[in-house]
Amino acid sequence: MSWLRISLAAFAISAALPVHAQTVTITTAGGDYGNAMKEAMWGPAAKELGYDIREETLSDGLAALKMQVTSGAVTTDVIHLGSPEGAQAAAQSLLEPLDYKIIDPKSVPDGAKSDYCYPFDSYGTVMSWNTKTYGENPPKTWAEFWDVAKFSGRRALRANAQDSIEIALLSDGVAPADVYSVLSTPEGLERAIKRLEAIKPNVAVWWTSGAQSAQLLKDGEADLVITWNGRAQTVKADGGAADYTFKGSVIGTDCLGVPKGAPNKEAAMKLIAAMTQPARVAKLTDFIAYGPVNPAAYEGGLIPEDRLKTLATAPENAGTSVFSNSEWWVKNGEAAQKAFDEMMAR
Amino acid sequence: MTVTVDTALAADARRERRFFLSLSLPALFIVGLAAILPILWIIRQSFLTTGGEYTVGNYQKVLSSGLTWSALVTTLELSLGTLAICILLGTPLALALASARPRVANVLMAFVMLPLWTAILVRTYGWLVLLRRDGLINAALTGSGLTAEPLPLVYNFTGTLIGMVHYMLPLFLLPVYAAMRDIDPNLIRAGASMGATLGQVIRTVIMPLSAGGIFSGSIIVLIYTIGFFITPAVLGGGRVNPLSTRIERTLTTFQDWGSASVLGILLLVLMALIGVMLLAARRLLAQNTVDAPHA
Repeated sequence: MSWLRISLAAFAISAALPVHAQTVTITTAGGDYGNAMKEAMWGPAAKELGYDIREETLSDGLAALKMQVTSGAVTTDVIHLGSPEGAQAAAQSLLEPLDYKIIDPKSVPDGAKSDYCYPFDSYGTVMSWNTKTYGENPPKTWAEFWDVAKFSGRRALRANAQDSIEIALLSDGVAPADVYSVLSTPEGLERAIKRLEAIKPNVAVWWTSGAQSAQLLKDGEADLVITWNGRAQTVKADGGAADYTFKGSVIGTDCLGVPKGAPNKEAAMKLIAAMTQPARVAKLTDFIAYGPVNPAAYEGGLIPEDRLKTLATAPENAGTSVFSNSEWWVKNGEAAQKAFDEMMAR
Repeated sequence: MTVTVDTALAADARRERRFFLSLSLPALFIVGLAAILPILWIIRQSFLTTGGEYTVGNYQKVLSSGLTWSALVTTLELSLGTLAICILLGTPLALALASARPRVANVLMAFVMLPLWTAILVRTYGWLVLLRRDGLINAALTGSGLTAEPLPLVYNFTGTLIGMVHYMLPLFLLPVYAAMRDIDPNLIRAGASMGATLGQVIRTVIMPLSAGGIFSGSIIVLIYTIGFFITPAVLGGGRVNPLSTRIERTLTTFQDWGSASVLGILLLVLMALIGVMLLAARRLLAQNTVDAPHA
């Protein structure tokens, strides 16, 4: 029973202490990722700001955010979301606008910018291939991925319009910077769908889960697989005959937002600004291979040279890749997915 | 005297009936809670916009979409295909089991039931190992020179059908086997003693008497397969999209609960239609069997 007495005593002492520090509540996904964010990002930031942080962990951030805001019982000050969910939340007026007087607007590249949810780390949808099939000469561009005469082999793509239509346009010669302006026209979307339809006969599997895509790559069921970098990296690290490139990847980001009606709005903005300082988002890569969105994190050797190869947003990949535009997807996602599904049903 | 005994007996019978009825209450309660309430909720949901206002827009959207109809066709193809193969494989198997000696039949039955005791995900992934490009079957085929190239056995309609038949066959077999086992052997002997060939015995004695079992099995197969999700999702390679995967896409990609509910109701209506059609067919067949001796 001594542990009970000790913890009771500890509780009594902590309750008796006067509360001066600002308390801020942060909601993360928990698990390894949540711990990494704590160690690298908000832990040090809170110490610097003198905040007390209360951490909540939830796997479905958007649903929780919606519940808190619509019920008028907002307890979270900072919430961690995927950028598509962030854009959805913004469209449903669930987030406060970011205060770019506190947060440095120049810390985000133009393609990734958001008014409501601050993108801080990234992953890529990449081209991966079987090294037994292609040896030293894999396809190097999406145009070559589509070139079934030069690169025969079985393809595997995700059974989802997301990222696929961007990649289809890149393969058709559209410049990375123009992808979304082209997609925003009806002809542009149709062009992307036609391009996917052209490669459909060579697609052996349309995968539906990340784990499945890794399995296809590992088993050699497919020779060329469009998948997420984490999955390709796992196969490669496990000794699978696989490699991948970030060239031409579609980059997705995770972001931090402040729920509408958050109890400590200003402190939340300050925490976001502090926890995403270059050194801190660089430190995150010590724990997990999610590359910082802030280009400054790649300067001054904050990230070891050999790790850059595993990060979607490393500078050597800039220029060929596209930031997935969450706002575009919120607005046009349903129409794009419908066109994609109809192509699949044809 | 007799009157009082009769009323006492009747009261006793009534009490007994009430008691048995009350025994079923917990089950009825669970059915109501777990089946009827969610269905009512889905019906309500199908008439709501994402904002929570009443609308028939979901129905217009779903029913006017070509994707719904192609998913419906895929659903029917999978269900009827599974049923056809189950009847072709299961009926002779049930006949063999029913005519085997009880000890042999029990051992065989255990083999038939074995897949039922395995989780569906395990079984589905098991098929993946067997059917994939460098899987056991293709390795055997190409290794023995029977085929030059590995056959596309999985990530398509064929693979999905194989997985579904594997799942459904035991469930189809059980009622058919039960019906066949209950046939009085004297009927078969009588037929044979009157000079009927084996084929005639099967056609005129065994099949009519086991029709009920075959119908029950068919209803089970159709009702199960119409909602199949895991098998097409894993073995279909993204290409085989029945209503169930359409519902999943509508929910996860579009977060469109209204349209997903409409699709769910479509599935329910489909099941009801199939149930009614099968029952009607069964009645028709029962009449024919009764008429048969006169013909």
